Amino acid sequence: MKTQESMPVSKVERSAKFVKTGFQIGGNYLKHYSKKLFNPDLDREQLNEDNASDIYNSLSQLKGSALKIAQMLSMDKNILPKAYVNKFTQAQYNAPPLSGPLIMRTFTKSFGKSPQQIFDTFNIQSVQAASIGQVHEATLNGKKLAVKIQYPGVGDSISSDLRMVKPIAFRLLGMSEKELSIYINEVEERLLEETDYELELKRSIEFSKACKELKNVVFPDYYKEFSSSKIITMDWVDGLHLKEFLLTKPSQELRNKIGQALWDFYNFQQHKIRAVHADPHPGNFLITPDENLAVIDFGCIKELPSDFYYPFFGLVGKNAMNDKKATIKAFRQLEMILPEDTPKQVEFYYEAYKDMIGLFGRPYTDSQFDFSQNDFFEKLYEYGEKISKMPEFKQARGTKHFIYINRTNFGLYTILHDLQATVRTDTYTPELDLSAL
Amino acid sequence: MAKAKVKPPITVEQISESYIDYVLTNNEPPKSVYVFSKMLGINESEFYNYFASFEAIESNLWESLTSKTITLSASQEIWAQYSSREKTLSFFYSYIELLKSRRSFIVYSLKNKCNSLITPSTLSRTRIVFEEFAEQILQEGLETGELADRKLFTKRYKDALWIQFKFIVNFWIQDSSAEFEKTDEAIEKGINVTFDLFQRSPIDNLFEYGKFLSQNTKFKEKMGL
Repeated sequence: MKTQESMPVSKVERSAKFVKTGFQIGGNYLKHYSKKLFNPDLDREQLNEDNASDIYNSLSQLKGSALKIAQMLSMDKNILPKAYVNKFTQAQYNAPPLSGPLIMRTFTKSFGKSPQQIFDTFNIQSVQAASIGQVHEATLNGKKLAVKIQYPGVGDSISSDLRMVKPIAFRLLGMSEKELSIYINEVEERLLEETDYELELKRSIEFSKACKELKNVVFPDYYKEFSSSKIITMDWVDGLHLKEFLLTKPSQELRNKIGQALWDFYNFQQHKIRAVHADPHPGNFLITPDENLAVIDFGCIKELPSDFYYPFFGLVGKNAMNDKKATIKAFRQLEMILPEDTPKQVEFYYEAYKDMIGLFGRPYTDSQFDFSQNDFFEKLYEYGEKISKMPEFKQARGTKHFIYINRTNFGLYTILHDLQATVRTDTYTPELDLSAL
Repeated sequence: MAKAKVKPPITVEQISESYIDYVLTNNEPPKSVYVFSKMLGINESEFYNYFASFEAIESNLWESLTSKTITLSASQEIWAQYSSREKTLSFFYSYIELLKSRRSFIVYSLKNKCNSLITPSTLSRTRIVFEEFAEQILQEGLETGELADRKLFTKRYKDALWIQFKFIVNFWIQDSSAEFEKTDEAIEKGINVTFDLFQRSPIDNLFEYGKFLSQNTKFKEKMGL
């Protein structure tokens, strides 16, 4: 693991970092096109690789929200070409730790006691970075606990980090500032929620209660009395992260079992609770020794309002888009087709989005889906690449709710693909009975 | 019975507290030691038994806050396990916490004295106490190899920490964030950067390489340099 020698101190320095990245990306394009003059066969893969590593190097030296943004971009495999993705996924694990004295300080501020006074043992060395905080191991009355501590000032720096990351995001996604603002605001809102540990604790308890019945899904217990606005204490969960789990060469049966648990967890939330754990990155899950899926982070929750849920999930499933008129109506509700579009544009976007949602919803069309199929994922990436190059899609479309719902579902698909799992997709299906409203 | 009529002698604390109360209420020092002593119901000479001037009261308060922090920090169970860097961080976190109980006075005391280049006279004794503490910690760091011994500069390390001291206190005075969270960040980042500079770095290697080359002129000549 690379160690970090220094961390940018002030906002000015952080801005400088971002500006530098902007320049480097510009430079990479320049390099790319000048090389291309002499070697027309040069493909964009190299350019993407250069860009990704510059962005990654810059982001990984920043903490908190910038790291979070790196993580978020890394989840959106459909938007970003593969080279970006490989670099960004590295960002999910590295961040410099808080000093011992600051941990003591955070504890005394929250509880008036040091961690050593509260717990029987407390390991001052963190075991894991959690993007806006870090995790420590503790024991109390023979029970092993995980104590998550937030970096100070994270909430404050999120807004300013987002302002700085904006120009780079525009560039990467090729959109204008005005169009992207609505999405950036959505991201900011979610990120700020994630810094609210009191909210997270509340949600963790609520969601783990609501999802209690799900088979093969387990949650740690949370300890309110040892939690505060900066600290969350929960049971320590023994288990393997996805990558480590896969290294143990689990049987197909076991992979299906874990995959099914994951699928059920997400679709139960989407269709029964109408609010979903919107951070399906592999760090938030553990596979326990008794073959269960443990969910350990409820920082990011996306609620699905009815005006999004009904039109969107109405489009997903077998024969859902057979009625063209109804489909266009749904696209309009979802702002994928805009009021000022010409009939020609309506036709164009209708076809394009029909393809896209058809592709996205494919796992739902049958009662079972094999996520190990490479061609399905190749098609998804291809589609993402194609769209990112089409001038018609330079303009942002679709309601803001898509960001997190797409991220959640693509994240889910990706993990299931990594698991090479086959799952039953009819366990929790969209509930579209409007009379139930 | 006669015993009960004898007033117990005034203490350092009583004088300090009355003084602080006065300046915080009136936003200026008393007109003179005479006026202040009269207010306390003591002789002027009694005041001088304890303090030479009003400034000495302030200076004394700063010093006692600082020594108290050092004692408190060092009494933590975990103290012995800390590196020099962590001890310094720990000192500042405890210091800011302790200063909180006297925030109004601190703000008053450093008002118009925020020049970062010179040390206000109210802090001169604090500086001595702090530097003594800093030197001890730095010495430990040098012995364990945590910090680089750089002949000329090593003696200046404590000055760098004193600059951080003033910076952090001033930062805290102006900090309006909830629970002074920004000050925590300023401490964490500032002290880490300072200690990063104290550690062995590529610059040291560069110096040594230069020294090596200049000492081995024989090779230089051979190579026609």
